[in-house]
Amino acid sequence: MRRLRSAVRGVACSLAVAISLAPAATTARAQDADAYVRAQALEQAEQWFAATAAYRDALATEPASLGALLGLERVYDQLGVRDSLLPFLDRALAIAPRSAALRGLQLRTLQATSGRAAVRAAYDAWRRAAPGDPAPYRAYARLLLAEGDARAADTVLSEAAASAGDPRGFAYETAMLRASLGRWESAAETWRVATADRPYFAPAAVYSLAPTPTAQRDAVRRALAAPPPVAGARAVLAALELGWGEPRAAWNALRDLPADSAGRAAWLDFAQRAEDAEAWLVARDALAAVARATNDGEPVARAARDALRGGDALGADSLAALAAASMDSSLAARIAVPVRVDALSALGRGAEAERLTAAYRPWMTPEERANSARRVAWAWVRAGDLTRARASLEESGGDAGDAAGWFALYDGDLAAARRALPPERARSSDELAAAALLGRTTRDRSSAVGAAFLALARGDSAAAARGFERAALELPDAAPLLLAMTARLDAARGDDATAIALWQRIVERMPAAPEAPASDLEWARALRRAHRDPEAIARLEHLILTYPDSALLPQARRDLDAARRAVPSTS
Amino acid sequence: MSRAALLAVTLALAVESARAQHLLVPMDDAQADHLKAYGLTYNALHDGAKGEWLLNYRGGSFLLPDTPELRRRAALEGITTQAVDDGALAAVRTEMAGGNMEAVPLERAPKIAIYTAPYASPWDDAVTMALRYAGIPYDTVWDDAVLRGDLAKYDWLHLFHEDFTGQLGKFYISYRGAPWFVQQEQANLDEARAHGFPNIPALKKAVAERIRRYVENGGFLFAMCGATETLELAIAGEDVDIAASYADGTPIAPDADARLAWPRSFAFTDAHVETGEFVNSMSDIDGHQANVPGRRQPLGAFTLFAFSAKFDPVASMLVQDHRGVIADFYGVTTSFTRRTLKPGVVVLAEEPGAPWVKYIHGDYGKGSWTFLGGHDPEDPQHAIGNPPTDLSLHPNSPGYRLILNNVLFPAAKRKPLKT
Repeated sequence: MRRLRSAVRGVACSLAVAISLAPAATTARAQDADAYVRAQALEQAEQWFAATAAYRDALATEPASLGALLGLERVYDQLGVRDSLLPFLDRALAIAPRSAALRGLQLRTLQATSGRAAVRAAYDAWRRAAPGDPAPYRAYARLLLAEGDARAADTVLSEAAASAGDPRGFAYETAMLRASLGRWESAAETWRVATADRPYFAPAAVYSLAPTPTAQRDAVRRALAAPPPVAGARAVLAALELGWGEPRAAWNALRDLPADSAGRAAWLDFAQRAEDAEAWLVARDALAAVARATNDGEPVARAARDALRGGDALGADSLAALAAASMDSSLAARIAVPVRVDALSALGRGAEAERLTAAYRPWMTPEERANSARRVAWAWVRAGDLTRARASLEESGGDAGDAAGWFALYDGDLAAARRALPPERARSSDELAAAALLGRTTRDRSSAVGAAFLALARGDSAAAARGFERAALELPDAAPLLLAMTARLDAARGDDATAIALWQRIVERMPAAPEAPASDLEWARALRRAHRDPEAIARLEHLILTYPDSALLPQARRDLDAARRAVPSTS
Repeated sequence: MSRAALLAVTLALAVESARAQHLLVPMDDAQADHLKAYGLTYNALHDGAKGEWLLNYRGGSFLLPDTPELRRRAALEGITTQAVDDGALAAVRTEMAGGNMEAVPLERAPKIAIYTAPYASPWDDAVTMALRYAGIPYDTVWDDAVLRGDLAKYDWLHLFHEDFTGQLGKFYISYRGAPWFVQQEQANLDEARAHGFPNIPALKKAVAERIRRYVENGGFLFAMCGATETLELAIAGEDVDIAASYADGTPIAPDADARLAWPRSFAFTDAHVETGEFVNSMSDIDGHQANVPGRRQPLGAFTLFAFSAKFDPVASMLVQDHRGVIADFYGVTTSFTRRTLKPGVVVLAEEPGAPWVKYIHGDYGKGSWTFLGGHDPEDPQHAIGNPPTDLSLHPNSPGYRLILNNVLFPAAKRKPLKT
């Protein structure tokens, strides 16, 4: 009974103590919070000594407060006494020995204030306190890397990988380290591991490996493309190849991936990147691969559009036909048929374009019908049949855009073309050329000009070039312009010799023409392409000295510096 | 004289009078291409013409004879020139006489050597780029030529990124596996062995000593970036091991500081050698310590001092510029701590209030030296592997002008070099 009474008394006593202590603890926490808030305000006011005292007050009641310790670190740093933080860290670590934040703070402080041995000892203590935790290895390796001691960092990471038994845990740090050391091949091998189950590392891998020197790239390629194919590593390789200007190699890195969801995602992502880089034909191939794996018509239609942009009209026609076959007629009329008509137009197959349009007419809106008719008209232009082109254009009804002006130009009716093709609407190089010519000559008719522009529209640049050269005889007031257009077409076809003869004719026989300085510049550039730098320098000097007010002078001087090797090559 | 002959003479005189007697090359903001203006002046001297450097007149303009060839060159390069006749020139001289200005005759184009390795390095060289852009001819020399005594052939020697302590810029720390580093290390080792030196530090100390003697005998030395600090350390540390063990197999002497012979060096004294082999710093000469995390100082701007053109023409020539304050730029050695400067060193540019200066000059024996901290005035954070700066995009660079002032400064000396 006495024992019971004693126990009851004890409980009562404990309760009394607890009750009496409860307000005291609450008060201490409030004071702690007050001290922390006060310390921050004092730090903000740059009252360093007072802030120090306040942070210490905060730590007196809560020794492991990370916020207070970080504040004290900042303030001690201002006072130049960072080592004063170490006793507080020791107290904090006694309470929370596995805290990565506190341990990291300790390493940082020791790095700034003590020798490497002290840092190493702290790192060893952390490993002992947190066995199996990769954090100490990472923190210490990063610290060594920041010090520039890549060799020691490498050792730490190797130890970490060995002790953890799974090298992937440190693959990110190791890969970064090796790339920073210029060990490109082993960096690529490590990135392959790092990205295997962490695809979000891919951008970091691309950034890290992009500076690989040309001579080392094959080793990187081998490492990332090694069998078995891994989607993450292949995606990294594809992005690298795109960045290195090798879009076809980029697609080759991805094409043999399994057509599972990861593979399809990689192909779709790559197609977008390739389109962004205007590598249309590899984008076509990637989308075609997606389509084969999914039986989806939309990627095929997109592939067809990319094929057309890449100049593969025949491929575009096949792909668009395939897309149309996998869609219902309404969707096909909206998505696949316009691409196919454009492809047929580029191929000059007007009759097929017309039949196709007619077949899908019931599923087209009036606007789509008009657009299709205009496309068919251009198909007839490319086929060289202006009569049927006109018929298609009339069928489109409404606004035919600039087509009427172009048809007039093809007929040699310069006056009508001049009215229908206002220069302010010119955008493409062909439109600008037409606008320049129509503004330059006062003649109202020229069959030679019409034939030349029609040849250009049909994609026959050789016939167009000779046509413009003939037109120069027919229109003497625009002869320098027509000869310059001829030269540009010849140069674009790789016939620099013919182009040079034309530029020479302009510069020497028509030196007052507006085209003369540009011809001199193009002549010099053609000579540089042929590695005839001394002659190019002579041309550029001629241009600069003969046309001192030309707007082309900055370009000419830059070319002159490049020809003299006075500026570093950027290629 | 026949009437025809008289007419010919009259016409010739008329043509001659249509040309002014002088070409003024303004170097203030009216100049379209400051850097090429130095090339125009240098090449005029090279071709035998005489000129003048009009210190502090319109940004440090040049006065050259008005010849068709010089007009042609100026037109080709896009350099602004103004024709001035004797009357206009007299007015210019009157204006100069009344201010802190002076005309310094330019008599001969100095022969220029650039100390550069025969292998390609993954960084650019500001002086080489400046000379190439300006069209100033130069020769390149490396260790073999220096040890052979070829420096005596040149008036002006430029050093850039070379590490004369023989530690290859301490790039071992971060780049020892990089192919370019391996190639550089091997090329330097081959050179050392070919000359009977056991390691690269020994070779570079011998080269540094040859350079010291070149200046002592009357040569002009211009150094930038890491070459400034390491040349001084190599000269002062001739008999001290100041190289890390990865460079020569033995650690840096622990008492290196006490044993350095600073009286032999050009610019610095009592510097502390960085004994941490894996700390990417050579000494406390550099104020910015750009490659040492925790020590790295932020970039500010430096101010050029204005000297008396009449009484201190040499210093004045070195600071001719159309800007007085220039944005700072990092290098392996970015700046020079005031504490380590020898008394008597002329400070040409400083960051006001900072414990370092940027641009210094001094005499040594019969010659002189100029040091400019930093790597590339138009690429303040130039990193290894970065593409070289295209100076055609910076034709008015005030920082690059400082380099080119140094190229023309020996042209103003009257006495030919005797070595």
